[in-house]
Formats: sequence, C-alpha cells, structure tokens
Amino acid sequence: MTLGAVPPRGPRSARRFSAALAVTVVLQTMAALFFVADAVADLAEDPAAPHSIFEALVALALILGVVMGVWQLRRTLAQMRQQERALDTARGSLAQVIEDQFDAWKLTPAERDVGLLALKGLDVAGIAEIRGAAQGTVRAQLTRIYAKAGVSGRAQFASWFVEDLLDPDPS
Amino acid sequence: MTDARQPGKEGGAVAPPDPWDPLVRVTHWLIALAVLLNAVLDEGGSALHVWVGWMVLAVLAIRLLWGVIGPAEARFSAFPPAPRAALRHMKALLRGRPREHRSHNPAGALMVYALWACLALISVTGLVMTDARSPVTIAEEKAAVAAGDWSVLASADDRAENGEIKEIAEEVHEVLANLLLLLAAVHVAGVAVESRALGRNLLRPMLTGSRRG
Repeated sequence: MTLGAVPPRGPRSARRFSAALAVTVVLQTMAALFFVADAVADLAEDPAAPHSIFEALVALALILGVVMGVWQLRRTLAQMRQQERALDTARGSLAQVIEDQFDAWKLTPAERDVGLLALKGLDVAGIAEIRGAAQGTVRAQLTRIYAKAGVSGRAQFASWFVEDLLDPDPS
Repeated sequence: MTDARQPGKEGGAVAPPDPWDPLVRVTHWLIALAVLLNAVLDEGGSALHVWVGWMVLAVLAIRLLWGVIGPAEARFSAFPPAPRAALRHMKALLRGRPREHRSHNPAGALMVYALWACLALISVTGLVMTDARSPVTIAEEKAAVAAGDWSVLASADDRAENGEIKEIAEEVHEVLANLLLLLAAVHVAGVAVESRALGRNLLRPMLTGSRRG
C-alpha cells in the first residue's frame, strides 16, 4: 500500500502522452515509408521535374519528423523515469520521517498501524475494519496516540507531518 | 507499510520493465495484428495484403531504430543473441526456476531475432514478387483491369522477365510465412509457461502494465 489512496495525476498523464507520441511516431513512419517509395519512383522516372524535387523535400521532412518524434519520445520516457524515482525517494523520505517520529513518541506496534492508517485518511470505522478490531478499541488507540504526540486531535496529528513541507520561507 | 509491488523490487534484482515502453507495445501489437491479417485472414496478393506488408516494413524499421536509440531495455544491447544463455534459461525453466532478466530473457531474445528476421525476409520477398509497386499502384491497376482497361497487363509483361527470381521469392515468402506462424505459436506458449514459472502475468506489461495509477 502506498501513502495516499489517490493515484498520482502527473505520471499518469505523462504515460498517456508518451503512448500517444509512440502511436504518432509509428503512423509517421508508415506515412514516410509510403511517401519515400513514391518519391523514389518519381525521381527515377523524371529526376529533374520540379514535382519530383518537391516530393523529395517532403520525404526528407517526413523522415526528419520521425527522427525528432523518436527523440522526443526517448526524452519523455527518461523524464518520466526520473520523476518516478524522485517520487519514490520523496515517498521513502516521508515514510522515514513518520517512522522516526513514531519511534520518538514511543508508539506501540498496534498504535503505529492505527496511526499510519489515520494519516492515510481512514476513519475509525475503516481502521477498525482493516484491523479486524472493535471501533471502541480503535478510538481508544487514537486517543492514546494523540496524547503521546501532544496534539488535540486528528487534524493536528496529520498537520504535524506536513508542517515542514509548507514552510512559507524556505531558506 | 511499503509497496511490495514497486518495479524492480519483486523477483530477482532486475526484472523487465512493467509496463514495456509505449513504442515497444504499439509495434508489438501492430505486428501481431499484421501477422494475423496476412497469414490467416486476407488473400495473398490482394491490395490489402500488400498494404499490411508495407506497414510491417515501417513498423519493423521504427522498432529497429528504437533498438539503437530507445531506452535501455528496448535496445539490442539489453538482449544480445546468446544461444548458450538461452539453453541455460530453458533448462532453468524446465526445473521451474527461471531467472529474471532486465529485458527479454535469453530464449525470448532469440525468438525476437528469429521473428524479426522472418518478418524482414517475408517483406522483402513480397516486394520482389510485386516489383516493389506500392499498394496504391496495385489497387489502381486492379481497378483498371476490373474496369476493362487491360493495358496495365502489358506493362506487367515487361516485368515478367525475372520470373525465376520471383518464383524463388514466392517459395521463400510462403515457407517463411509458415515458419513465422509456428514461431508465433511457440512465442505465445513460451509466455504462458514463463508466466506460470515466474508466478507473474507477463502479458500485462505488454498491454497496460501491472501497476495501478
């Protein structure tokens, strides 16, 4: 389970874009092949005709378009990979921050689980269902977690971890 | 709680990309469709057959270009033809313990090259058989003949001189087409067996990828 049940929008649209780009490049290659074959046949028939020269130019442009498209696709894929890595790192870092803080508050293993689920936005009923526990138990565990963390409730508990990310004056 | 399904973190130290990059996927399925069309569904020599053949050439060209400048796993260097490694892989597969590879496994790599070689030779022999006339020209000529204009057949007579070469080309074209179908069947069976042995659906990375989001 990753942090946050909502799939990231950025990588998804990037994937769609790269797929569209791939389809375009393949279509362009087909068009280029047909046109180049036609241009070659015309050139063989009448090399000096303005029509032939123009066709050769268009063929050249099509081939260039394919090469540029492939290059763009290559760069997009590389960028996507880099962003994914950065996202993984950020996820890992946040997970580490949470682990460390839970250590510092001396949460029990059960409380850590409940705390993490609460951070993911699940309500008492949801947490109880996942953990197969009574809602009363979960409520009691949450109260203990808030007490150990010295926060007033869920909102403050969650904001504890994003506060640093919202620093208005990064220096 | 960490994500157990993150790429590269399951199975061996390295695994093929999931999903495969879009160009690999698009070209894979276009070739599959083309083989199905030209070997099974349409009529040899028809304008559609020639159309599809030309498209195969284009798809093959872009995939080979991608094999040089594409991302690491799509490049030839990630899956060099290595018959001995392929044998080792088959043995491991028979024992039910195949290793993960960052791109095609060595046996799969041999299959890829065999399929490409077949496709290239089939396309080229097809071009020899049709005097490299484009499908548009062929369709136009067929329409002319159908309309009662037999003059195009006169030019066809001019082309008949290298009939012997064409006969050989036709023979090769047909034999290789059958071989291609056989290889494709082995390829599909291989994917099924390997998926079972690895406990992981290998088809999904070629479609949309296994990961959510």
